[in-house]
Amino acid sequence: MRRDILYTILAAAVLALTVIPVGAAVFVLGFINGDSPCVMCWEERTAMVLIALLGLFVLRYGPRPKYLGLSILVGAWGIHMALRHTAMHAARDVGQGFSIEILGAHTYTWALFIFLACIVTIGLLLVATRENDFEGAPRKLRPLDKLTLWVFLLVTAGNIVQAFASTGPPPFMGQGDPVRFTFNPRHWVWSLEEYSSAPVSLRGRWAIEKPDVASVSADSGAGPLADLPALGIREQKRIALPLRGTITDLAYDAAADRFLITTQQGVYIVDGSLARILRHTVVDPGYSVDLGRFAGAAFLGGGEVMALGENKSYVILRPDDRADAAANYRYFLESFDRFVELSRSRLATVRARMMYVMSLAYDPAGNSLYTVSVPNSKMRRLVVSRFDRRDLTLSEEFMLRPASDSGLKFAGEKRSLDELFVTGATVADGRMYAISAAYNTLLTIDLGARAAVAAHAVPCLVRPTGIAVRSGNLYIIGEDGLLSIVPLP
Amino acid sequence: MEFLNFVLIFAAALLLLRKPEKERLAFRLVVASTVLMVVLFSIATRTSLLPGVNY
Repeated sequence: MRRDILYTILAAAVLALTVIPVGAAVFVLGFINGDSPCVMCWEERTAMVLIALLGLFVLRYGPRPKYLGLSILVGAWGIHMALRHTAMHAARDVGQGFSIEILGAHTYTWALFIFLACIVTIGLLLVATRENDFEGAPRKLRPLDKLTLWVFLLVTAGNIVQAFASTGPPPFMGQGDPVRFTFNPRHWVWSLEEYSSAPVSLRGRWAIEKPDVASVSADSGAGPLADLPALGIREQKRIALPLRGTITDLAYDAAADRFLITTQQGVYIVDGSLARILRHTVVDPGYSVDLGRFAGAAFLGGGEVMALGENKSYVILRPDDRADAAANYRYFLESFDRFVELSRSRLATVRARMMYVMSLAYDPAGNSLYTVSVPNSKMRRLVVSRFDRRDLTLSEEFMLRPASDSGLKFAGEKRSLDELFVTGATVADGRMYAISAAYNTLLTIDLGARAAVAAHAVPCLVRPTGIAVRSGNLYIIGEDGLLSIVPLP
Repeated sequence: MEFLNFVLIFAAALLLLRKPEKERLAFRLVVASTVLMVVLFSIATRTSLLPGVNY
């Protein structure tokens, strides 16, 4: 390609970058519509201006490697900034966002596409560059180059004015929530709030540790509820089954007198005496949906079983003696011909969104599934979530509190049920029984009243991970296979 | 600080137009502006330096 054509294309690209996003932002959105950039918008705008300026360097001095290298670095940083900015709002509901929308997308989203377009444009111009283009004296500016430079200076001058009014002179800097732009100095806000002390983190509120039943205190006397009555253990024994991994949950099917046990990746249907495995499989947790570690198990009726990962991803299986082992290779790691996989997807919560779960319960009366959140270092809530079995979509959520007539008392003003670490749950007769590995506490929850109506200490449990109702008793199992049978409270 | 940054950028562009022989100074202004932009964005996002999404 001829050099003058290449420089014309570059001048046009610089002009477009200067006028369309940056010039429109300062003169139309800013001076006319009163829009003020937030601190992140300011830096994204600065990066666009810097890329345009480096294009002007190329127009003046030729495509020296340092200009091209720096423009790619600024473009890459711009993509990072736009991603960081867009991520704050990307998961909101349709049409929601920060500040104004242009052609169906908010401004920070456009930044992402603009930086991508910049990188692509620089790449294309580099492809068209010859080796001898990298040498040479400063170029004499053509009229188009001069126009581009003057337009750039004008747009930059506009930004200087807006930046002075909106952010102030050094050391003041941009704000997270800027007030609308005005030329009236009485309404200018210059702030140092961005310098205020705050923890430095890579992932912020998303840095959430995986739940660990071993990390909590089992001392039932140290829990948030005072003067809890203790439930006596009728029988305690250790089950000895050849399981792959430790036990993560337990469920019971009264119609067929059989239990369901999950391990980290295993699904086991066990006879009513918990002595013999009737069928099992080990699910491949990495196929398609990341199932994580199983933490919940439930019989769904009709023979179907559901295993829920701590990340609220699930798999639903149906026992089938004629399952196609070859077709099941993708789903299972062993025992390929004992189940059919019906579905594998994810449950979505709202109040429990940033929390893991370690329990699953099925209520046949309401045809609903329940999960209970476990607290983490960022979020401490005890959220009970109900999902409709038919579409496995959230139907209701509530944050558990004691019923007013329950007689439950907290051990201190700052104590709450949010401290509990529910690792197993089961539903019977409209009540949920939830076992907390923290403080070995059994909660009785009235699902109609959405409140805890009773709580008991069960002192002899060791890392309980599952609970099921059978014949008027609660079967509570620990991760190492210790089964404790206690009467229903 | 954004005001200062745009002043640096304006000065660099003015050098390109009026004093092209001052290329080194102009480019240094661009580098300074780039560093300032990175520092300001990092300050503003220090509580979560990476995009806040599910990884």
